[in-house]
Amino acid sequence: MSDAALPRRPAWLAGRATGPRLARHTLTLIALALLLAPLADLSVVTRDPWTELGRMLQGLAWPDFASVESPFHALGLTVSVALWGTLAGVVLGFPLALLFARSRLVRAGCAFVRAIHELFWALLFLQVFGLSALTALAALAIPYAGIFAKVFAEILEQTPRAPADALPPGVGRLSRFLYAELPLAWTQLAAYIRYRFECGLRASVLLGFVGLPTLGFQLETAFREGRYPEAGALLWCFYLLIATLPWWSHRRLVPLLLVGGVFLLGPWPAVDGGLLWRFVSQDLWPAPLLAGDGAGLVDWFASIPELAPAIGNTLLLALLGTVGALLVAMALWPLASRHFGHPASRLAGRGLLVLLRSTPELMLAFVFLLLLGPSLLPAWLALALHNGALIAFLVARHADGLEPGMPGLPASGRLAYELLPRVYPSLLALLYYRAEVILRETAILGMLGVATLGYYIDENFQYLMFDTAAFLLLVTAGLNIAVDALSRRLRPREVPQEDPCLR
Amino acid sequence: MRWIAASAAALALLAQGAAADTFRFTAIPDEDQSRLVERFSKVADYLEERLDVEVEYVPVKSYGAAVTAFRNDQVQLAWFGGLSGVQARRLVPDSRAIAQGAEDAAFETYFIAHRSTRLEDGDQLPDAVEGMSFTFGSKTSTSGRLMPEHYLRQRFGEAPDEIFSRVGFSGDHSRTIALVEAGTYELGAVNYAVWDAAVEDGRVDTDQVQVIWTTPSYPDYQWTLRGDADERYGEGFSDRVRAALLEMDDPALLDSFPRSAFIPADNAMYAPIEDVAEELGLLR
Repeated sequence: MSDAALPRRPAWLAGRATGPRLARHTLTLIALALLLAPLADLSVVTRDPWTELGRMLQGLAWPDFASVESPFHALGLTVSVALWGTLAGVVLGFPLALLFARSRLVRAGCAFVRAIHELFWALLFLQVFGLSALTALAALAIPYAGIFAKVFAEILEQTPRAPADALPPGVGRLSRFLYAELPLAWTQLAAYIRYRFECGLRASVLLGFVGLPTLGFQLETAFREGRYPEAGALLWCFYLLIATLPWWSHRRLVPLLLVGGVFLLGPWPAVDGGLLWRFVSQDLWPAPLLAGDGAGLVDWFASIPELAPAIGNTLLLALLGTVGALLVAMALWPLASRHFGHPASRLAGRGLLVLLRSTPELMLAFVFLLLLGPSLLPAWLALALHNGALIAFLVARHADGLEPGMPGLPASGRLAYELLPRVYPSLLALLYYRAEVILRETAILGMLGVATLGYYIDENFQYLMFDTAAFLLLVTAGLNIAVDALSRRLRPREVPQEDPCLR
Repeated sequence: MRWIAASAAALALLAQGAAADTFRFTAIPDEDQSRLVERFSKVADYLEERLDVEVEYVPVKSYGAAVTAFRNDQVQLAWFGGLSGVQARRLVPDSRAIAQGAEDAAFETYFIAHRSTRLEDGDQLPDAVEGMSFTFGSKTSTSGRLMPEHYLRQRFGEAPDEIFSRVGFSGDHSRTIALVEAGTYELGAVNYAVWDAAVEDGRVDTDQVQVIWTTPSYPDYQWTLRGDADERYGEGFSDRVRAALLEMDDPALLDSFPRSAFIPADNAMYAPIEDVAEELGLLR
């Protein structure tokens, strides 16, 4: 495409420099969202949500810690699952990272396992390992292995070549890796593992929603049954856990936590090979296919929910969620950055971000459902706020590492001329990474009756129709891989790579 | 890195199977699922005393998970809802319903409406509900989904999403009540026992939301036992389990379910549920 063929752009949008290019990306995204928004069902129906919202606020303001059954066990288990799940992900992902650049098969495999939400992995493993720590660990470790493989490979790729080149000829591959590559990449690898661990904590809570006894188990039940003081107590526990993360996850404490975690995770189930084989060889496949019944297979396909509207809803919600997250992140990151406000405002800003990014989307969605009525809108807001706050947190951390070069500017100038231009490429890069996550998360908002692919997957797990669920999971994974590929193409290349957590 | 190896070794040591001869059961009450372990451990103690085997309660979150645990032999006895019981007995041949709650022989669903609909309690669902918004409970709930959908189809000859402008799944009876009370959905279908308990405790504002129709009665919750129980726990074990359930008279135990007593049940009683579930495509 030559520049001459393009319609004339206003000067500030023209050109190949980073700024205008990112501006074009952003504006295209927003325009696309505005254009497609009328297709979404965004009607607002409110009558009198205030009684229920009042009860919720009261529950959050006056949490009842005494009503929680064994809170320390639930907290401990949440941490143990996250810790061991992340560790298992590292152990599985590391060897894959070394093969990542060379093997197309490894790359495709990693993309596939990443593309399925932790909750759906848990639902799959639940059928075989039951409600056990094994299910929880596998549900975290498998997708994380795929993520680690990809990110570790990118980090290793960027380690300076010089030390490896300086080694005498004939040094083995392993020695070269251990002495010349690993030490250089170690800080970045460790920082990324640390960031992934926080994601693991949130996922560990979510696993409670399908029945593993982490914090989410009681939280979901209490919230669902309207016992808000109990739900409030559990939420506060979780907020505190996330807010104090930098202190209790200190390097020297980790081995202690790991060993303690082992005792909490048990008892381990005896793995029944028969169950595993039955699930893999029968449950996951359409019965007519196994019986070799062609006509039956046609009927089976007819019984699958209509795919086109489901895919349409999933993509639309993901697009709206992504654009929403962009706007939320832009609005919120300065609140938590050291460059703006005073200590009290920053504390409040950070608190708000912890609150938004740690409250499970499902709960945010329920609050908006009460406020706005049933439509796509509550799902959109929940996705935008949760993911926007997460991006804002990472961008604020990135900005804190920058030194303003033009002292004496007022805050607004510092934001507009100094910091925003410097953090915006990484903000957008984060958003593109997050788009894939948002797409996966549309799955868990089926409660709102938004018929996304995930809604049907969840439904088929509940009806015990694992073959249909497996088929829909494959479709979802394909969609995720496509979106991931697209976002990788669009991602700004100029992102400073010093912080691997910005991915 | 040394601690990783050490921890992995510790993990391997602990990774041993649980004792095989423990009798395990699970139960999900249809209301108030707080302190599940504490409450049902008392039931486990009672059963342990009556059955002379070690009894353990396994807390589960959803009926789907309960059915899976039952199918995989991770629990041998389960307190199922109508539909989940039918699903479980299909998957585990020879398993049978052995007891139900006194209230479960004739269970009912209430259709409730927000006051803005101006609908009143009547002998049948009024035509005016067409085009309003409506929410079920959870997707696999017998009283919150299966039977109300059945009666809706019987009354209007159409699927719910053709009758109503919007159909939601609140996920729980308490939530259905909360959503209709707030007017988020205009109508909802709710387990009668949960509604009655909520009204009694003053947890629902009956000026905002009221019952407009009660379904005919149908069988619901029941205890289902695996068919191989006698083989594994000794001759006559199934009969002893059934006797222990039927003779449970301590209100503190019964309140956990919550039921006033347990009465005998058998698989045939649930044939209507099975038919409806097949008709709606929830079973195959």
